[in-house]
Amino acid sequence: MIKKILLNTLAFVLMLVLFNFIYERFFYQNDIKKHSEIYKSIQSVPNQTDVLYLGESSNITFRNSDTDKRSISEMMSDYLSDVTINDITQPASHAGIYKILLQELDSSKQIKTVVITLNLRSFNAQWINSDLELPLQKALVLLRDNPPLINRIMLSFKNYDNRTKAERQHDIQKQWKKDEFVGLKEFPFKNVVEWDNWMANNENYTKTKRDLACHYIKGYGFQIDFDNNPRIKDFDEIVELAKERNWNLVFNLLAENTQKADELVGEDLTFMMNQNTQNLIKYYENKGVTVVNNLNRVEDEQFIDQNWTTEHYAEKGRKTIARNVAEALKKWYLNDSK
Amino acid sequence: MLFNTLDFIFFLPLVVLFYYLIPQKYRWILLLLASYYFYMSWKVEYVLLIAFSTLVDYFTGLRMEKSKSKNRRRRWLILSLASNLGLLLFFKYFNFAATNFNDLLTFLEVKPKVPIMEFLLPVGISFYTFQTLSYSIDVYFGRQKAEKHLGYFALYVSFFPQLVAGPIERFSRLTPQFKIKHHFNYKNLKYGLRLILFGLFVKMVIADNLAPLVDHIYIAPEKYTSLDIFKGMVYYSFQIYGDFYGYSIIAIGSAQLLGIGLMDNFKTPYLAKNIAEFWQRWHISLSTWFRDYLYFPLGGNRVKKQRWILNILIVFVVSGLWHGANWTFLIWGALFGILYLVEHFTNKIFKLNFKKNRLINTLLVLKTFLLVTFIWVFFRSENLDSALQLFQALFKNGTHSDLTLQTPYFVLFFFLLFVGIDFLLRNQRFDFWLDNLPLIPRWGIYALFVFAIIVFAGVENFPFIYFQF
Repeated sequence: MIKKILLNTLAFVLMLVLFNFIYERFFYQNDIKKHSEIYKSIQSVPNQTDVLYLGESSNITFRNSDTDKRSISEMMSDYLSDVTINDITQPASHAGIYKILLQELDSSKQIKTVVITLNLRSFNAQWINSDLELPLQKALVLLRDNPPLINRIMLSFKNYDNRTKAERQHDIQKQWKKDEFVGLKEFPFKNVVEWDNWMANNENYTKTKRDLACHYIKGYGFQIDFDNNPRIKDFDEIVELAKERNWNLVFNLLAENTQKADELVGEDLTFMMNQNTQNLIKYYENKGVTVVNNLNRVEDEQFIDQNWTTEHYAEKGRKTIARNVAEALKKWYLNDSK
Repeated sequence: MLFNTLDFIFFLPLVVLFYYLIPQKYRWILLLLASYYFYMSWKVEYVLLIAFSTLVDYFTGLRMEKSKSKNRRRRWLILSLASNLGLLLFFKYFNFAATNFNDLLTFLEVKPKVPIMEFLLPVGISFYTFQTLSYSIDVYFGRQKAEKHLGYFALYVSFFPQLVAGPIERFSRLTPQFKIKHHFNYKNLKYGLRLILFGLFVKMVIADNLAPLVDHIYIAPEKYTSLDIFKGMVYYSFQIYGDFYGYSIIAIGSAQLLGIGLMDNFKTPYLAKNIAEFWQRWHISLSTWFRDYLYFPLGGNRVKKQRWILNILIVFVVSGLWHGANWTFLIWGALFGILYLVEHFTNKIFKLNFKKNRLINTLLVLKTFLLVTFIWVFFRSENLDSALQLFQALFKNGTHSDLTLQTPYFVLFFFLLFVGIDFLLRNQRFDFWLDNLPLIPRWGIYALFVFAIIVFAGVENFPFIYFQF
């Protein structure tokens, strides 16, 4: 019996080795194209680039009426001539994704500066537990440093965060209840849930305005826990990687519609947003990172999505951010403003 | 912890290994701990619910047996039923009742509303509740002696291969197997692994690849032609079959590795010639549960005709509602009940007997498959409007969209392969069927399934459909 089991096990292992060969030869590249489009982006980074800009949809979204529809990373060239800037743009991505992308970059590629967008909303429980994460997580499974068949096994057997929508929503609610506000004098709400419930019953607003206000509360009503927030951990790892690879590291803290937040919810929310921003700047500047604070730099009118919280800017907004980031890079590059 | 995850692929062999390494008298402890760990992987707190059900039914079982007076025994049974059904009703139906009540209040322009509770449905609550209820009812009627060993009873309630989606096992069938010493043998290993392999193939390659195609149809049926909608409906019939059948076989295979036999839950249901036969082949553990604990106590067929008709409808409607708290499930169950009765009376009136006519039997099989496929629409739809929308689109051919339901070749290939295997297996189980094959074709099938599972498994996250029940 033991002999039979060992023989069968050996046959199975040999089968897997053969399958790895077949899979790598005939299926792997197709799978990458199908499930990990982001790999193309990594491969497209040239061997030499001065600045690598990692961003999400904020980089490339434009308003149809924009004369200049270029991305933020392209606009940066206007302020930094003779500096090559390449970008990897992946909608809905965040530090966890950037971390993997940067790790996957061939270390032989000569990159001087890495600019990473820092989206305030990506620190909130909603984003951390969002099912938008799912396609991004799956995309990265095939890129892990394993034999191709092993990666495919992990993909097939859901070796990523595969919570259902209901589970995610439940976890978000749980996190919101757990995260109580601290250090806010006379603030009437214990947590986001209470705040949101109060706004949801605010009869001074129309339903549309109420819904949007609730959305802002859920999006920005949090205080970053620097010890436990998974995004902080991701950014910390990026900082370490940058040190290893000798990159200049810049965090582009994206603009949020603080005007609208103030109008809808009030200064309690904008205070929280600015508090998080200042804490992030302090935390990462202490680690040697250059943080570009764009939080309040773009006016309401320049936000393309007026009924949703996104970081999509019209032309002037994108130019503002591009200019601010370029200014921050001047210490490493000869500047040539236009 | 889902069966089709790496967590389970590592968890199961470890449990099996330690199971055979430790002495028989401690095996129940290992299995109980493993089962609780398995359940806690979903939500730690909900293990308290299983523990509560276990303790209530353990004690009420012992009390029922000790009580000489029928009234006393009835009181203990009521306590068991109330506790178990109370939990089930609360977690599963409270929000449904509250939503409908709130809608009524809104209609009557009355403001105060019942709050909708925010909690996750405990995985498998419908299954383990029915499992423990069968025990309590059997003890009450003297069909089963109360179990004195709390550990074995707890294991009966929580045995991990069948805990969250069945098969719903009877106490007398399952528990004695925990008490026998099972020696490790090659046959159990072979059959168990074969079943797990087949189950994973059916779930991951068939069900999970059909699921996104079905989703397209149900999201926007008006954008597809009638043919595409019909294809989507057929695909759903096989998605749900593959999903649930796949789960059941993995459960049976996992238990087989431990030397424990679980009942078959499916017997090629789409080869049924009528609705009655369909329910003898589909989710057998549930249909036999309803037969024994609802239909027979209502009088079965030993009552007047009108009462019998009512009994049939009650059983099917309750069965529908067991599946979910939605009007669609009620209609799903009721339709099965109505069709059951229509076929029954049609056969009686026309004294139909086609046992030897192959062509007519084939047509009957197709007829039943079509009827079931149509009724599945209610099962799949989120609400009645969606179901009606789909039927409207089905019968109103013509679309202003360019969308077509493109079935990838590999999905079509494996789908047809599965249909063929299912037909071939109509008289036997997959693990036994493979014994009839010579070595090379047998290993060819292993290789095909392993390769298909790894390379062609659907990668969208579709949990087992029956987990929501």
